[in-house]
Amino acid sequence: MSREIHPAVVGAQPFQTAERGQFDGPIFKTKEGRLRLEMALTRYPDKRAALLPILHFVQEKKGWIETSDMEEVAEALEVTPAYVHSIVSFYTMYNQHPVGKHLIQVCTNISCHLNKGDEVLECFLEETDTRQGEISSDGEFTVIEAECLGACGFATVVQVNDRYLEGVTPENVSNILDELRAGSHKR
Amino acid sequence: MSNGEHQNTVTLTVDGVDVTVPEGTRVIEAAERVGVVVPRYCYHPGIPTRPAQCRMCLVEVEGRPKLEPSCTLQAEDGMVVLTASKTAEDARQAVIEFLLVNHPLDCPICDAAGQCMLQDFAYVTNQLESRMDEPKQIMGRDRISDDILYFADRCIICTRCVRFMRDVAHDDALIVAERGHKSYIDTFPGRELNNPFQGNIVDVCPVGALVHEDFVFKARAWDMDATASVCPGCSTGCNVTIDTKENQIVRMKPRHNSKVNSYWMCDYGRKHLVMTNRGVRAEVPMIRDGDKLRATDWETAISWVARQMEIVGHETGSAVISPQMSNEDLSLLWSLLNWLQIEKVEFQVSSGETASLPSVPKLKLRADRAPNAFGLELFGAERVQHLSSETPESPLVVMGDLLQDAPEKFGMGASFFLYLGTRLPEAARNAHAILPVVTFAEMDGTFTNFEGRVQRFHQALNPPGIARPGWMVLSRILAELGTGDVISDVRSAFDHLVKNEQAFEGLSWDGIGLKGAPVRGGHEEVKNLVPS
Repeated sequence: MSREIHPAVVGAQPFQTAERGQFDGPIFKTKEGRLRLEMALTRYPDKRAALLPILHFVQEKKGWIETSDMEEVAEALEVTPAYVHSIVSFYTMYNQHPVGKHLIQVCTNISCHLNKGDEVLECFLEETDTRQGEISSDGEFTVIEAECLGACGFATVVQVNDRYLEGVTPENVSNILDELRAGSHKR
Repeated sequence: MSNGEHQNTVTLTVDGVDVTVPEGTRVIEAAERVGVVVPRYCYHPGIPTRPAQCRMCLVEVEGRPKLEPSCTLQAEDGMVVLTASKTAEDARQAVIEFLLVNHPLDCPICDAAGQCMLQDFAYVTNQLESRMDEPKQIMGRDRISDDILYFADRCIICTRCVRFMRDVAHDDALIVAERGHKSYIDTFPGRELNNPFQGNIVDVCPVGALVHEDFVFKARAWDMDATASVCPGCSTGCNVTIDTKENQIVRMKPRHNSKVNSYWMCDYGRKHLVMTNRGVRAEVPMIRDGDKLRATDWETAISWVARQMEIVGHETGSAVISPQMSNEDLSLLWSLLNWLQIEKVEFQVSSGETASLPSVPKLKLRADRAPNAFGLELFGAERVQHLSSETPESPLVVMGDLLQDAPEKFGMGASFFLYLGTRLPEAARNAHAILPVVTFAEMDGTFTNFEGRVQRFHQALNPPGIARPGWMVLSRILAELGTGDVISDVRSAFDHLVKNEQAFEGLSWDGIGLKGAPVRGGHEEVKNLVPS
């Protein structure tokens, strides 16, 4: 784990806390997985209630949630896999398909639409040479259109993984992508 | 209040009619007591959870500013409920309009057409035109289990099926996936439902979203005749409705009975009965003529059988009876056996895996896969594992279909071998007379279930050829022998049963009604009547 986290904030972290990568083996048999499960369980009256933070953890690690992951989570939390599936598909922030290292969500709702949100989206798609939802050939980016991100005062808003970029214009799209590629984009 | 329990009641007014109900009753149920059916989708009386999410049962309560869902609203003293006020009807119409936004309106090819609550309630809202300009969303269909299809476009997400699986069957395998206008019913990817009671989700579906694959495109609701019956699949005796079309059983659905099966039945029962359509049936009486069996008419057959019986006389012999026979059949049969002085009566019950529905303790798929084993025990028949293969040279009576696996020479040595059955197995060739009787679906009668509940079933099909109910045939033989009257209606046959078998004392055909009644003394005392 990249950073020590206190049990009281597990699952409530605004930023990623797990290094992206695959689990080597069953999720909750790995040291990291076991620790995160234990910590999450301390915060809730029953196992079922820890479902959301545990799913967040899986997604932090892998970028998306596979059906085999859902089965593992279901077993660990003593719920049915179908129930986990309903939760994963209900919340749009859980990715049901693989995404690039950086998931770029461009708002095109009213305020952003008035501030060239659609052009920003087009630019991102062009620059990454993808269609919506696809992973770019270098594995770095996935671009999708998002409904209102709740930051209308700072249109156009773009969400990159768990962070907001505000006041994005078509002109600074390629800079943003370069910085993300270089891994130097400031938090 | 001698038992110390005092049931408080409240009195409210529903659409101008006063109704008094126990405290805690919901308004939707109170309204039903005075004949007002509030339109509903998510509410189902057999499903404990009431999410009040369909917003269809909204009613106006005088003095309250907003409409309230009557499925969760508790009845209160002095409450004035208006189910059909302008406000309530406007709200209902808005819900219907919302549900129809993406509904494909494919009623002409929908299996639920004619039995669809969306059709029914859309019909009464009387809205002629859709205000939707956008194209409809198309979602397609899916397979929920090996025999249940899901038409996502027709679905109104009432979640009855999800809640049946979760809250009644305690098998949380069916869920709502996605959300909002994209939501649909789904299982876990790559897994199908696999629950012995899953067929009930098709029954609770208020629209045509969930359908049994073996029923798809088979019959329209208005082409089917429904008959009250009892499932013969096991000894539970679930109350059912048999739907028939052109003298074929097309499906069987559970019929509510709080004392037996609540609103449900198992899948084994559903599938089992459709088999009744199959196989070659015994259609005409046959009597022995030298080496051969000769087809004949009833009059000849009956008088021939009676004459043969007189020849063998009161000689002790044996009998084998199927637990598929009705109580009336057994009653008349025992009169015949008494005449022959046969005391050794055996029966065999096939058994299978059991299954239970957690929230309805009495409802089980029981190991005894026959509807009337308990009735046979009341009459004093002996349960055996295997039918004895050797027959001494004495009279032998076989009633019912239990010779499918009998050895070829079964009954060959008998001095008189009478076979009454619906089918013609190999071993029946050894009989001196074959009298074709009908299945339970082709006659009226009663079964006694595992705990001694006598339940009526009614004739759903016309019998093949000139086959007749067993009790009718037997009464004619007895009349020919001069020991009884000809019985040609089921009430008299039931009276014969009540007169001749003490356990049934006090019951009457009309008295037990469509919900059945326990044999004398109820379950416990009856157990003592059965010789162990």
